[in-house]
Amino acid sequence: MQTKILLDEEQIPKKWYNVQADLSAPLDPPLHPQTKKPIGPDDLAAIFPMELIRQEVTTDKYIDIPEEVREVLRLWRPSPLYRAHRLEKFLKTPAKIYYKWEGVSPAGSHKTNTSVPQAYYNMKQGVERIATETGAGQWGSAIAFATMLFDIQCTIYMVRSSYAQKPYRKSMMQVWGAECIPSPSMKTNSGRAMLEKDPDTPGSLGMAISEAVEDAATHQNTNYALGSVLNHVCLHQTVIGLECREQLAMVNDYPDVVIGCVGGGSNFAGISFPFAGDKLTGKHKDVDIIGVEPASCPTLTKGLFTYDLADEAGYTPLLKMFTLGHDFVPPSMHAGGLRYHGDSPIVSRLVHDGVMRAVAYHQSEVFEAAQTFARTEGIIVAPETSHAVKGAIDEALKCKTTGEEKTILFNCSGHGNFDMTAYDAFYAGQLVDYEYPDQLIKESLARIPKIS
Amino acid sequence: MRRIGFLVNPVAGMGGSVGLKGTDELYEEARNRGALPQALNRAKITLSLLKNDTDLHFLTCSGEMGEAVLAKTGTKRYDVVYTFSGGSTVEDTREAVRRFIRLGVDLILFCGGDGTARDIFGIVGTKVPILGIPAGVKMYSAVFAINPVTAAEIVSENGEMVLHDAEVMDVDEVAYRSGSLSTHLAGFARVPTLPGRTQVSKQVFEEADEGRAKEEIARFISEVMLPDTLYILGAGTTTEAIAHGIGVNKTLLGVDVVRNNKLAKQDVDEKTLFALVKKENDVRIITSPIGAQGFIFGRGNQQISAPIIRKVGLPHVIVVATPHKLCQTPVLYVDTGDPELDKEFGESIQVISGYRIAQRKKIFQLPVPGTRYPE
Repeated sequence: MQTKILLDEEQIPKKWYNVQADLSAPLDPPLHPQTKKPIGPDDLAAIFPMELIRQEVTTDKYIDIPEEVREVLRLWRPSPLYRAHRLEKFLKTPAKIYYKWEGVSPAGSHKTNTSVPQAYYNMKQGVERIATETGAGQWGSAIAFATMLFDIQCTIYMVRSSYAQKPYRKSMMQVWGAECIPSPSMKTNSGRAMLEKDPDTPGSLGMAISEAVEDAATHQNTNYALGSVLNHVCLHQTVIGLECREQLAMVNDYPDVVIGCVGGGSNFAGISFPFAGDKLTGKHKDVDIIGVEPASCPTLTKGLFTYDLADEAGYTPLLKMFTLGHDFVPPSMHAGGLRYHGDSPIVSRLVHDGVMRAVAYHQSEVFEAAQTFARTEGIIVAPETSHAVKGAIDEALKCKTTGEEKTILFNCSGHGNFDMTAYDAFYAGQLVDYEYPDQLIKESLARIPKIS
Repeated sequence: MRRIGFLVNPVAGMGGSVGLKGTDELYEEARNRGALPQALNRAKITLSLLKNDTDLHFLTCSGEMGEAVLAKTGTKRYDVVYTFSGGSTVEDTREAVRRFIRLGVDLILFCGGDGTARDIFGIVGTKVPILGIPAGVKMYSAVFAINPVTAAEIVSENGEMVLHDAEVMDVDEVAYRSGSLSTHLAGFARVPTLPGRTQVSKQVFEEADEGRAKEEIARFISEVMLPDTLYILGAGTTTEAIAHGIGVNKTLLGVDVVRNNKLAKQDVDEKTLFALVKKENDVRIITSPIGAQGFIFGRGNQQISAPIIRKVGLPHVIVVATPHKLCQTPVLYVDTGDPELDKEFGESIQVISGYRIAQRKKIFQLPVPGTRYPE
């Protein structure tokens, strides 16, 4: 009974797949926050290297992965694809469950798939420092690792509630030589303004993004890097899905269902875009692609598909995406990495077009699923990842009722070794099932006259 | 040095073992039935944990009303400031509290039941924080620690006191003994809490300050309130904060009605409220769980009766509560007096707990459908 399906190092993808090439119509462009006109490359040049700006907008179907980047990826890629025999047996499901294990990277999650190329392109352009933000610390540690490899300094604004909650993520950033600051901080104008407005704020990803963007925009030698949401980030993550497709082909399989958790959308994009491409081009019209999000921050299931700011203070372009409003501060649940008011514009568009769909779960049910997974497959997943696990288990249980032998693939995006306090809270019965009161909000919005 | 007023209602909790529901006027009866003073034993557990805390100095009453416990547990630092008459405990309690206030205390720690809490609160109001060591037969008030050990932890860890509002419930014992439960809100006391105990570290920011949480709830509700719609505001400090948020002065303990950010009717009774609701097409109820158990309906806001809730419709019931309150009440209760209606609430309910934030909370399910709450 084969459990791990492995590729050779030489089989690390040589190109990223760009789903923008297969969209029926181009994405709505990002708009300048003041002029509301589409932004051009020059607007972004102050904070991003040109190659990443190009990747953000290109509709080329494939983009070469630089050999120097592939050299680094060899440290953990290709990542293993597992057949979850024990989980299947436990669930008594006729479904086949596969999971792609991204926790093997040095930082413990998929985030290094994009932090490495981002740091590389910045190095190429002579950038000396990168300012960025991190929610739960996964991205922060990944970018700290990558900037170290390419000899770039790194300043990370970490959402305050996570900074207090996850001290070891902070320690990892330190080991890799980065500076980590709780956000909002007194270091930036936007941070000071937020603290003045609310000294006790738990912080949010939106606030931390504002601080990092401001830092980058006000320092000549400094660029900004984002760990999710943007098109080039999703692009870099497609190595996950591309490898999966190869690995499944090795066992003569192809997924009926593809699942990932969604915060900003990049790990979900990573596993699903190659399959979404197959769906868009008619090769596999029936593949069901599901993003799983927290009920407390249900952007795709309860948000509006509209232009909104990507950050709190309004430094970023307006993106057309599903959003709960840039001023929404999601509650401090344990899956800190999923606390984002918006979503990747591409993921949003694909959900809007019906190519993908989304479901939302409460905190305690996803931890229940994570426990099942740990007790069958052994891996203790990150709270974010547990959403994908829950989605996969529910799909497998549906197969149990219908008798369908579906192939379910999900992205096991990261380990939870630094999230054990969250598991402790689960066992202590202290997990709060936050949710978003969408009915009340919708009802009141419905009465607001529409501006045409 | 912190000064703690300490008193025991020696007869509290005596009724339970001999089938009396509360001992307000039945001390002699309970004694005759062979009841043993529970409160003293319960208080001893707490005090034996506090006896070595050199930061505490107790002011207390003589004999069974306090001194006996302090002496038995070997507590050294205390003064007896009131002599227990041995008769009517209600008057003794009140007089002792008056002395505590006059002499100055940082906290009143008492051991008793709902009646004791009500008597103390009647004198002290919100001037001095109070904390109960639970000993009574029934516990509807939210001023009690979960048990005597937790009471000790709260006292010894509250150098800088973290306070929250807690309902003091007035239970009519005479009616209660004849089988009917009649509770109403006596008010909200200030009660110290254990931040570490009730919070997961991630929630610290939201839960550290209850006042802030109320403002957040109020800000959200004020945004989603619809024009021309009648809103019934239940009792309590959270609904009071909502009223303040829209510029309305609300009665703390009563049920008020607002429309278009104006007070439509204050402190309504059931009849008036029903008459008002009957004429309307679109009415909403905003209510907060009340008491130690967290009753959404049925305790402290009985003005909002089952027929009124039915007329309004369950989708139009908006439940609000601070994260702190929700942390203390893992399960919420509904007791509208109409078991069918109670059942319609289902197994869980959304509770607004912050700005655009809600929590999904379980509702207690009666083991046998159709039965009433055991009283």
